[in-house]
Amino acid sequence: MKRRWLIVALGAAVLITFEARPAYAMHIMEGFLPPLWALVWFAVTIPFWVIGFRQLQRIVREKPEVRLLLGFAAAFTFVLSALKLPSVTGSSSHPTGTGLGAILFGPWVMSVLGSIVLLFQALLIAHGGLTTLGANAFSMAVVGPFVAWLIWRGLAGRAPFWLVVFLAAALADLSTYVVTSLQLALAFPDPAGGILAAFAKFGAIFAVTQIPLAISEGILTVLIMNALQTNAAAELQALAIKGVRA
Amino acid sequence: MLRIIDQYAFANRLRAVDPLQKTALAGLTILLCLALDRPLVGWLALGWMMAVTVWYAQVPLRVAGAVIGAESAFLALSVIGIAISVGNEPPATALWAIPFGPLWLSATGGSLQTALHVLSRALGSAAALNFLILTTPLIDLIELLRRLRAPALLIELMALSYRALFVLLDTLDQMVTAQTARLGYASWRATLRSSALLGSRLFIVAYQRSQALEVALTARGFAGELRVLPLSYTVDRQLWLIGVMIAASLVAARWWS
Repeated sequence: MKRRWLIVALGAAVLITFEARPAYAMHIMEGFLPPLWALVWFAVTIPFWVIGFRQLQRIVREKPEVRLLLGFAAAFTFVLSALKLPSVTGSSSHPTGTGLGAILFGPWVMSVLGSIVLLFQALLIAHGGLTTLGANAFSMAVVGPFVAWLIWRGLAGRAPFWLVVFLAAALADLSTYVVTSLQLALAFPDPAGGILAAFAKFGAIFAVTQIPLAISEGILTVLIMNALQTNAAAELQALAIKGVRA
Repeated sequence: MLRIIDQYAFANRLRAVDPLQKTALAGLTILLCLALDRPLVGWLALGWMMAVTVWYAQVPLRVAGAVIGAESAFLALSVIGIAISVGNEPPATALWAIPFGPLWLSATGGSLQTALHVLSRALGSAAALNFLILTTPLIDLIELLRRLRAPALLIELMALSYRALFVLLDTLDQMVTAQTARLGYASWRATLRSSALLGSRLFIVAYQRSQALEVALTARGFAGELRVLPLSYTVDRQLWLIGVMIAASLVAARWWS
């Protein structure tokens, strides 16, 4: 059993070496999903958008000036995702920034801000797409932030600070990758082995870029949070006071 | 890539054309690609949209090609995933099967067909999306959302983020240059440390910039709403005609194949 997975991972590594282009965080590209699945993922994501947006409206009604901060927060997440990270495999990869965003701003706000970032990535760097926005938003702007936030809330105070931040960021990244693989597997089940085999297949293909990426992003987020605690304690406090961490 | 796309979005021949018209053309092509769902339709859409982008909107082929090339990275990996099946034994209908340790990698006629099918559909719709983003600046699209009565807060957040994006990106570039000049990216460890410093400083810069904007707006009597003048656009009749031709040929390709 173990040997079998080793071979699958090796095969994926071979595939990746042929594809030397640095891999971004996974986004499903325009037109890749069949219409039915594109609609399903929009339907799943829309409730999160509605609740997140209502919360944003409430925050802004109380403090109109927070909208400027929120605008910069979305831009910050976008720019962070353009940051090149050193990755174990040698190629550079890019963080998703959703783990850090969820820790700073809360998961509901992040589901809207993250979706704006995804829309911008589709419209400004041709990464992702409009019809697949629902699916991408679900994996990156909903599941990722919620996983990060649950870990952050559940473990804070019970484990060392660095470990909590690392787990929150790395697992947010990993969950995004697992959900995307699942989305691909559901849309394109393996003719021989069905959805489960397809999931293992897509998972193995992307594991080689995504697992080192999750580790790098975890380490980076720990370092960023440490630096923020020493350099920007006042700003962090102001965020909590302003009620942005909903 | 970001700056190149943004630059051509502002400097192509269709810059002044109503964003609604360009969005309608791209959207219609994407919908037809998804709804008609035939390989020939996808390839035809790819050809049409590349041609419109390069000849009609006069975006250099080099740029349009680079954008679609970058998108193919994800596509290549996923299409391989669809084409090749992994199982404990090869399916009876396999075209070819290679034993790979205890596993069998195989491809059937059906799986290859699905892969080719998805490849054409994705390339066709991606070319349509690229046409839109290479001819229309994001502010025009935000303006279009305003006309379509999207919530005011969403519009404002998008407009603010779009502006903040370039401010932060310029800051990022300067910081990276400064760090590189001081051998900040000389080793793996140094790269990680520099990236962390970059990320945290960038957060502080973003926060301070937003505070500065707040002060500046308050000084000018900010009452909780940002108002900007709408731009004026022209309607390009020829583009409508091209759109009708594209739609007709895509539907024809569906019945013919």
